[in-house]
Parts: sequence; structure tokens; C-alpha cells
Amino acid sequence: MFALAGMNGLVIGAIYALAALGVSLVVGIMNVINFAHGELYILAGYFSYLFANAFGMNFALAMTLAVALVFLFGLLIEYTLIRPTYGNDMYSLILTFILSIVLQNAYLLIFGPYPNKPPNWVGGSTLILGSFYYGNQRLAALIAGSAVITLVFLVIKKTWFGRIIRATSQDREMAELNGVNTKRLNMLSFGLGCALAAAAGVILAPIFPVTPTAGVPVALTAFVVVVLGGMGSLWGCVIGGLIIGLVENFGAAYISTAYKQVFSFIILILVLLSRPSGLFGRREA
Amino acid sequence: MLEISGIDVFRGETQVLWEVSLKVRPGERVAILGSNGAGKSSLLAAITGTLPPQRGTITFKGAPLAGLKPYQITQLGVALVPEGRRVYRDMTASENLEMGAYPRRGRSQLHRTMEQVLRIFPVLDERKHQVAGTLSGGEQQMLAIGRALMSRPELLLIDELSLGLAPVITKEIYRALAGLVEETTILLVEQNVEQALHHSQRAYILESGRMTRNGPSAELMADDDIRRAYLGL
Repeated sequence: MFALAGMNGLVIGAIYALAALGVSLVVGIMNVINFAHGELYILAGYFSYLFANAFGMNFALAMTLAVALVFLFGLLIEYTLIRPTYGNDMYSLILTFILSIVLQNAYLLIFGPYPNKPPNWVGGSTLILGSFYYGNQRLAALIAGSAVITLVFLVIKKTWFGRIIRATSQDREMAELNGVNTKRLNMLSFGLGCALAAAAGVILAPIFPVTPTAGVPVALTAFVVVVLGGMGSLWGCVIGGLIIGLVENFGAAYISTAYKQVFSFIILILVLLSRPSGLFGRREA
Repeated sequence: MLEISGIDVFRGETQVLWEVSLKVRPGERVAILGSNGAGKSSLLAAITGTLPPQRGTITFKGAPLAGLKPYQITQLGVALVPEGRRVYRDMTASENLEMGAYPRRGRSQLHRTMEQVLRIFPVLDERKHQVAGTLSGGEQQMLAIGRALMSRPELLLIDELSLGLAPVITKEIYRALAGLVEETTILLVEQNVEQALHHSQRAYILESGRMTRNGPSAELMADDDIRRAYLGL
């Protein structure tokens, strides 16, 4: 049971990390908290379900298309809802909160309250360490999640886009003076943040089918992960995501499944008591 | 190269510059002097587009800068070494320099310019892989200048180069600047009047947002009023 809970924790942890990276990116660069993050995660799940099940697309194509569409939707949200609110963080908070409610109800009207599930990528299961069989779909999700996280790190560390993202989140005005079109960067990074939520959504949807409100706990956990890991720290997202994923699953396995979410908050409180700026956060941000 | 005529600049509701005019010719080194709060930094902010003037015009290489955003003005060949250096603290020294080369004019020659900058400031070569926040004040100032040079600017604006630096370090940096490639025009803002006059050909004096005097630096240096007011002699 220990190893099984550990595997489950890793899979969920990788997805939390992915969702948290999207939140962290947007907070770091734009100082905007996107309360509709979870709904975009779910939107990608619905898209991949729709494309694969109703239109009969190949699952990989359906997923890619779903992420691309959510990215475009993210650009649109930035342009229409977020851009007019720069300078007042509270407005964007309220607007994205309203958006999340609107989207939840739209999903309910369009797809109904029942869980919808895109097809599995792979079937069967694999014997892990000679002790238990683990679903191949979950293993594939872990690999896909890790691959996307690695890709994000490579982009942030190695490319011009990553360099200007880091520079802008440290000193926005200076980055503009160094030739960065920060307005356009805002739009792109908001879209990218949404696309990361979408990537988490399409990877996890075959395992945890999508419902109109299934994004709420994921987004909530993503916010917890960002705070736990430290605002603006990418490593914080990854380590924080894994910690929360593992703690939730060990807690559920050994104590009670009903308190699954409580465990992550207990960890959060314990960490914040000793390190108020999170695990990898800078003391003075 | 740079021509400013009659600009009024506001910070919020407060007017900080009144009918300021100034001219910088190619290859020149011009200093703007004045005490704290005289509007020196606001003048630079007006040139870089951060604080666009409400009245008056600024032209760079004959083209008006009105309506251009800071990132566009940077692309035209203006680079700022900001007050307080403002290096990207969590990025390494070499990443900071690379950021300076982000404008199109700098990026194609990144490696060549990087070599030149590291030759001007050899200590940055030693600190290349160090995170900028851990560098000393003088090294950060060199890094900020190096970052500005990375865009291969035609006009280099330097705000308070000597602020918070030991005199020895200031001298060293000024000496390095003097050896800079000839084609870079420099507009220097300084509270350290002696250094500024020493390292410029002409100077303007800004007092409470108005230009009060200007002339060749050597002449101003010899002027009794100026010596009394700014040099404490």
C-alpha cells in the first residue's frame, strides 16, 4: 500500500506542479491571480473529450488541439478582461472569479453534471517493483506531466522568451527599457499560464473524468502549491506539487480519504509557520 | 543626435520640468548637473519614454520620439543605465548582459559585444556565472553599464553613476567609460559635479526643474558661482 500511495502521489503531484506553474507564471509576471485557472483546466478536459469522443480524433491530436484552443482563449481573456485592470490587482481577481462561475455554469448547461471521460491513451497495467500492478494510463500521465514540466524549465532557462519572462518578473520597468514589449509579454504569458492549466487538464482527464466543478479543488491546490513553494519560484512549484500530491495520498491511504484536502493545508500551515515566504520564496519579494 | 526643445514633464499631478531644452551632438559627452530633486532623472525618463512630456518635443537622430513606448525607443539605439543600477538580481551576470542585447540591434552581435564589454570590465568576466544580487555595488554598476552597452546604443544615458560607490571605484568606472568606443554618445546625470565636469565636454545645470545654465565643462569648472554652489570651494 505504501508504494501504491507513493505512485499515486507522484502522478497527482506532477499534475499539481503543472497547474501551479501556470499560476506562478502569471502571478510572477503580471501580479494577477487567475481565479478561473481551474475552469480552464476543465475546459481543456472537455475539449479533449469532445474532439476524441464526438469527432473521433486521435487522442494526441485532440489533446494538442485542446491545449492550443485554451491558449488562444487565454489570450482573449487577457485582452478583454485583464488588460483594462492593470494597476489594480483587485479588479482582475474579481473578474476572473466571475469568469470561473460563468464557465462552471456554461459547462453545466452544455455538458451536463455527469462526468465525461476522454479515451485512455494506453491500456493494461505494469508490475511495479514486483509488488503491485499499476495502471499504464497513470504511468503515461506521470511521464507526460514530467515531460511538460521539463519543457517549461528548458524554455524558462534557455530561451530568449524565458529570459525576458524572468527579467520582467524581477523588474518590469527595466525590462521595458531593455526592449521588452511588456504589454505583449503579459498577453503571451497569460495565455501560456492557461495553456499549462490545459496541459494538466488533458493529462489528468482520462484518469479523473471532468465535471463542471472538478476544476475547483485542482485550482485551489495549485494556489496552495504556489504559496507553499514560494511565490514566483518554479522549483517551488515542482517540489511543492510533489509534496502536496504525496501527502494527500499517504494521508488518504493511512488516515482517511475524507480528509484528503485537509492534509495539504496542514502542511501549508506548518511550512508557513517556519518559512513565511514559502519553501523557495525570497524573504522580501 | 538628441534634441530636446521646451519640454514640460509631469509626475502624476506634479510638474517636475519646465521648458527644458538641450542638445547633444554625435560623439559628445554631455553632463546634466543639479542637486537632488532638480529633475535630472525625470529628464532621462522623458527621453526613454517612461515619462512622456506633455509639451515640447524630443527628437533622436532627427525623428520625433513622441508616442513611442520605452521598448521602441530602446530599439532605436538609446540605452539607460538607471539610478540604483537595477540589475536583475536573481539572474547571473552573463544573463544580465544578454538581456541588454535583447533589442534587435544588439542580438545579432551578442557574442562580439559581450567580448568587448568583458574587456572593458574584466571583473565581470570573473563574475560571469555569479547571481547579480551577490555582486558588490561597484560590480553591479559595471554590470548595469555593460548591460546598456550590450544593445550597441548610439546614445548612452547614465543616471547617477557614482551614487553609493566608493570614490576609488567611481574613478575606475569613469576611466573605463573614457575608453569606450568613440561612436557612443553619452549623456551623464550626476550629483558628483566634479567628476561629471571632468568627464564631459559640455554641461547643463538643472535647478528645480529649469535649465539655468549651460556651457563647456571646463568653463563651468572655472566659474566661481558654480564652484561655490556645487563644489563647496
